[in-house]
Amino acid sequence: MSENILVIGGGPAGLNAAIMLSELGVNVALVERDSFLGGNPKKFKYKFLFPDMQPADNVIGELIKKAESGGNIKVYYSSEVSDFKENGKKFDAVIKSASGSETKTFDSVIVATGFEHFDPARDAKYSYQLFDDVIDIKDLERMMGENNFVRPSNGKPPKKVAFILCVGSRDRHVGNQYCSRVCCTVSVKQAIEMREHFPDCEAYIFYMDIRTYGFFEDLYWKAMEEHDVQIVKGRIAEITSGPDNTVVCKGEDTLLRGPFEIPFDMVVLASGMEGGPQSPEISSKLGIELDEHGFLKPENVTLSPFKSNKPGVFLAGACTGPKAISDSITEGAAAAMNAYTYAVKNR
Amino acid sequence: MEYDENGVSIVPADLKKEIFEEARKDFRYEEYVRGCLNCGVCTGGCPPHRFFDFSPRIVLQKMKSKDPELIWTMMDEYVWACFQCFTCAMICPFLNSPGGVIAILREIAVRRGFESAKKVLKPYSRVLLKLTAYGNQLSPDMIQPDFFPDWGPHIGYASTDLSVKRKAIPMPTLQVTNLAWDVAPETMKELYDIFDEAGVFKIIESVDPSLYEIIQDIVDDVRSS
Repeated sequence: MSENILVIGGGPAGLNAAIMLSELGVNVALVERDSFLGGNPKKFKYKFLFPDMQPADNVIGELIKKAESGGNIKVYYSSEVSDFKENGKKFDAVIKSASGSETKTFDSVIVATGFEHFDPARDAKYSYQLFDDVIDIKDLERMMGENNFVRPSNGKPPKKVAFILCVGSRDRHVGNQYCSRVCCTVSVKQAIEMREHFPDCEAYIFYMDIRTYGFFEDLYWKAMEEHDVQIVKGRIAEITSGPDNTVVCKGEDTLLRGPFEIPFDMVVLASGMEGGPQSPEISSKLGIELDEHGFLKPENVTLSPFKSNKPGVFLAGACTGPKAISDSITEGAAAAMNAYTYAVKNR
Repeated sequence: MEYDENGVSIVPADLKKEIFEEARKDFRYEEYVRGCLNCGVCTGGCPPHRFFDFSPRIVLQKMKSKDPELIWTMMDEYVWACFQCFTCAMICPFLNSPGGVIAILREIAVRRGFESAKKVLKPYSRVLLKLTAYGNQLSPDMIQPDFFPDWGPHIGYASTDLSVKRKAIPMPTLQVTNLAWDVAPETMKELYDIFDEAGVFKIIESVDPSLYEIIQDIVDDVRSS
């Protein structure tokens, strides 16, 4: 008899966990809240991934294809775990979907419920939703993905675009003190992408610190040296409307200009990552710990970042904190190995 | 008072150290001064920054440096450029309050009767008098064309026949012209007790001794009535 393992969440981490377990011969129930697999990268149509600018479809599309091509994975679309109980060392879960509820016993569980993009409308100084030409990284990603890079206000191509980092991150006012880790690299990637495809369009990046960690630093240097992206140190204090249908960024260039007010055709806010409403929900449903940032808390952040505080329940991907897609895929595999070991031991 | 080549008043190093210690000991200090990333969002949003060489980021950075020399450079003029609007405190991602630091430093300057405080408070002596002697701030008889040239062409009309115009206001306490409203002696006496306890009279004595004498005459009159 083969093992039964529940995977909650069909983003990069959950998909990779499900695929690896399936290859080990485990029966996997993959519970996905949306009507499709792929998580946020699919939902917001990410087009190219850093650092090598490969099409997102090469990664996300591949994972989805593998998960959907049968094997031992049963995908429950538009569904949720509505009830969850411990049963000795195993777990009884009720999976609720459009076609009804199904109760099953699982040997172990992997939680890969991911993150939500910060909603920039929550920070009024950026005037998101007030001005059409103020968008955020996920909006731009979708625009690029749909080959529709124009100013939302008038449908014309922009000539000058600002990228603003740390929106919804590292800010006590919005309740997120942490760094969202990938937004710097994503913004630099987007600026390069924009300069490559629309060389007439100037790009400015306003930053507090540029955190293109590890080898992502290459992109940062490339943006300056090959694509003439203007990198300005200073957080934006206010976005107002300017003459000729522009949006004006007001701030202090703490290194060079001093105070500035620069008009742009378009502003892209690098909104960060949040645990979203799903994290506290799954935390109370499964009886696993939530951390002070609103993400799920690993048992030991260094030794076992993929374990929850409850034996048999494992964590993978951005549900434990802001993370790049590659890290989520790695954690999916790590959680799969641990969930499998737990299942086999307690068979 | 002598000044160095940067326009900073020359005082003994011990005094600078004392000022810093006094600011550090203020009960609000820990709440106002936290981490800082030099992001400049405070200065970017600062209204006086558009008009003067004044930056809340510099205020906070100098305070965080814990260097008495640097902090002293703000005591002559710098601290008085702030509007005390607290926009900086509202937008700082760390919840710092550069405006609050300014308030602490200004209070030190006033308490110690520094020259800069005296100079800044001089134009406010009429307001200070009304406020401390009667608990009012502005009164109708203060509206004079010479003092408020920026109040438009009707300032001349507004400043005449004050007692008649005040009578048109149907509230008995508002029918005075030397005060905003008629203040009961009991209220004034209570106010004086509060000012005494809080050291307000003492502060006025240190920044403006002649104003202090005028106020004390009124205080003595009211108290003995």
